[in-house]
Amino acid sequence: MSATETIPAPDTAARRGPWAEVFFSLLRSPTFLVGLGIVLFWVACALFGEHFAPYDPLADDIINALAPPSGEHWFGTDQIGRDVFSRVIVGSRDILTVAPLATLLATVAGTALGLFTGYFKGIVDDIVSRILEAFMAIPVVIVALLAIVALGTSKATVIVVIGLSFAPIIARTVRSAVLAERELDYVAAAQLRHESALHTMFVEILPNVIPPILVETTVRLGYAIFAVATLSFMGFGIQPPSPDWGLSISSNYGMIGGGFWWTVLFDALAIASLVIGVNLVADGVQGALND
Amino acid sequence: MIKNYRLLDLIRRQRTPLENHLIDGLVDGRVSRREFIRHGSLLGLSLPLLGGITTAAGFGAMPSLARAQGAPGATIRVASSVPAAAIDPVTIADAGGLLVMQQVAEFLCVDGPDLVLQPALAESWKPNADGSVWTFTLRKGVKFHSGGEMKADDVVASIDRLADPANSSNALSVFNGILKTGASKKVDDYTVEFHLDAPNGNFPYMLSSDNYNAVIVPASYKGDYEKSFDGTGPFKIEKYTPKVGASFVRNEDYWGPKALPERTEFTFFTDVQPMILALQGGQVDIINQMPVLSGVALLNDPSVDIISLKSSAHQQLHMRCDDGPLKDARVRRAIALCLDRDKLVAGLMKGRSALGNDSPFAAVYPSTDTSIPQRKQDIAQAKQLMEAAGVAQGFKVTLTTERYLEIPEYAQLIQNWVKEIGVELELNILDQGGYYGDAVFGKSNWLDSVMGITDYGHRGVPNVYLAAPLKSEGTWNAAHFKNKDYDALATSYIAALDLEAQKADAGKIQKLLLEETPVIFGYFYDYLTATAKGVTGVQPTAMSQLFLEKASKA
Repeated sequence: MSATETIPAPDTAARRGPWAEVFFSLLRSPTFLVGLGIVLFWVACALFGEHFAPYDPLADDIINALAPPSGEHWFGTDQIGRDVFSRVIVGSRDILTVAPLATLLATVAGTALGLFTGYFKGIVDDIVSRILEAFMAIPVVIVALLAIVALGTSKATVIVVIGLSFAPIIARTVRSAVLAERELDYVAAAQLRHESALHTMFVEILPNVIPPILVETTVRLGYAIFAVATLSFMGFGIQPPSPDWGLSISSNYGMIGGGFWWTVLFDALAIASLVIGVNLVADGVQGALND
Repeated sequence: MIKNYRLLDLIRRQRTPLENHLIDGLVDGRVSRREFIRHGSLLGLSLPLLGGITTAAGFGAMPSLARAQGAPGATIRVASSVPAAAIDPVTIADAGGLLVMQQVAEFLCVDGPDLVLQPALAESWKPNADGSVWTFTLRKGVKFHSGGEMKADDVVASIDRLADPANSSNALSVFNGILKTGASKKVDDYTVEFHLDAPNGNFPYMLSSDNYNAVIVPASYKGDYEKSFDGTGPFKIEKYTPKVGASFVRNEDYWGPKALPERTEFTFFTDVQPMILALQGGQVDIINQMPVLSGVALLNDPSVDIISLKSSAHQQLHMRCDDGPLKDARVRRAIALCLDRDKLVAGLMKGRSALGNDSPFAAVYPSTDTSIPQRKQDIAQAKQLMEAAGVAQGFKVTLTTERYLEIPEYAQLIQNWVKEIGVELELNILDQGGYYGDAVFGKSNWLDSVMGITDYGHRGVPNVYLAAPLKSEGTWNAAHFKNKDYDALATSYIAALDLEAQKADAGKIQKLLLEETPVIFGYFYDYLTATAKGVTGVQPTAMSQLFLEKASKA
């Protein structure tokens, strides 16, 4: 052995830790980067849109209503003469407020339920799971209708409706992961230490089921965006004169037959692009976690 | 204008003092020819007689409404909204249902497109001296589709049925406080008297097509109208399929000229857009009612003709007079002064409406006092009023309304305009069920909201608009407006038989409502019917009825 023995460089992955590796894996994922780019574009529009929108998205110009796309109004004007381009730009604000908050609520509630049912198993699992399955059988729209009647029309109602509708789906995913985790030695060790059930669930098991929760959350965010747009289209939650995309489609879809396609098309494309962006991010996250 | 006083004297000798007063008004120039014809029809003067008087008074002959008759035998296809409930003369309340019913059943008189009453099952009518009893003379030889002759017993039974509170009649909104059950009396087989609760100068309109429930069906009618569709009309039912459509065939025993079309077909649609596509695609010939915003593409379509009827239909913007910042009339006036009504008419309604002046007196009514100045947008004055009322800094208030026609867009325009005086409107736009609720105080967003916009359909006379939403005890008084002077003026107007007395009351009411402004009447929208090019002789009314007996296709 020489005096100047070369010590082998430690493996890069081992040095970074699992989460850093996921991060760098994401940075190498074109799917994730494209999706992130789309989402960040709409987030920037939501935060700063009114600074670069060419017109006030709420300002009417009724005499110039339903003008087709032109150099003056790139996406044309709507039924009361508002600039459609400016409304599409600023219209991401409501949906990017309501959908993430609803998803967050679904994630928190779903994770707690999933931990609970997966950890206790048995009769508790049977009862709660059947209730959740029954709840999942009810369409979101029906739940929304009932909630609107009970609570009134508001963004908060939409957040609660979508959050509670998606919570059982997340709970089911978390439950599956917890059922596998609870059989591992570290859980048995915690129980031997007489840790409380809450401690075992939230301190021991939860960190180990974060990856599926993360994937499910990003997937649900895409669905939540679609659900918010659907409920806005149906007239629940977001109220005029908000430039919200679903609401704008709802207000103008009757004009398509008359050839005024621009009052609807660009809002629809905006919803589609955001959903695609979020789904690409979800695919990227899933891929990185699987690697 | 050369007046034929000899002929006028001859005519006057056979007329009542009330009718002569109207003739004098025409001769003296106090009443225009249009007003004379319309009010004369209300008093039961026949159209030929009215024509004779206008000629004698130097106005020339009445314009003929006659058109070249089209070819018979066509099948006319109509796109209509779906009847919302079972079709029954007593309970029907929606455009789709009343349209189907009106194809087979008829009224005593018809409120024509020019708001001139035309005889139908009644040949003539006249009031007593104070307008508390109206006598209708029925047409002879009219047969129901089921075979019997229409007589006074059928008229009495039909109208009694509508006036009976026990029947949950939709027509009670018209007859309440005017005509009780049992107050319709048979004089002989062809004469009926209506004894009113109080004098009423516009009563014939309440038995006309204006009151769409008031069709005459056999006295033996016991309900379940969809089984018989019995009536006296120019068409008989061929087939009715709920939610899908209906078809009718020509009634060969009709009392009047036989209908030109051999058949008519009605297809029900839940939305306007499919109707437009069906018209453009040649699947239907007529869209009975076309909202201006949804149908804007058809307005300039060379393959489509638009029949545009001036009407009194409007959107009422009510403001609570009993609570909050809107309690002060100056604030209500300030809000009204923010509206740019010219832009509403030209932009929102594409020119298919008339200016409103914050009273129910639309330009179409002959009693409207046109000398009252039109309210216009005046932001400076509005700000002064806000300052005088102590709310110069503005306030926040919720405007609740229904998702119907152009109302959401109208609400957003108002929201933008009142920002200029510091009023921040929060919109709460509900579906119609959510907005109207149980339609009683305490259980209705419509009647309980601080501010709201409500659609009001056309009426041939303003009586309903003057009473239900504005009188202190009005059942639709969403503004919670209580003003004894107004109540007295409205009562006086409703009772007046004489056009000039009506005009005098109308002017006072218009001034009072401009001062108080419990309700903003921004515009009165036209009733639009779209027909394919080459379809002629179609006669809609602003009450959603469609008379097709003279219709033909090129």
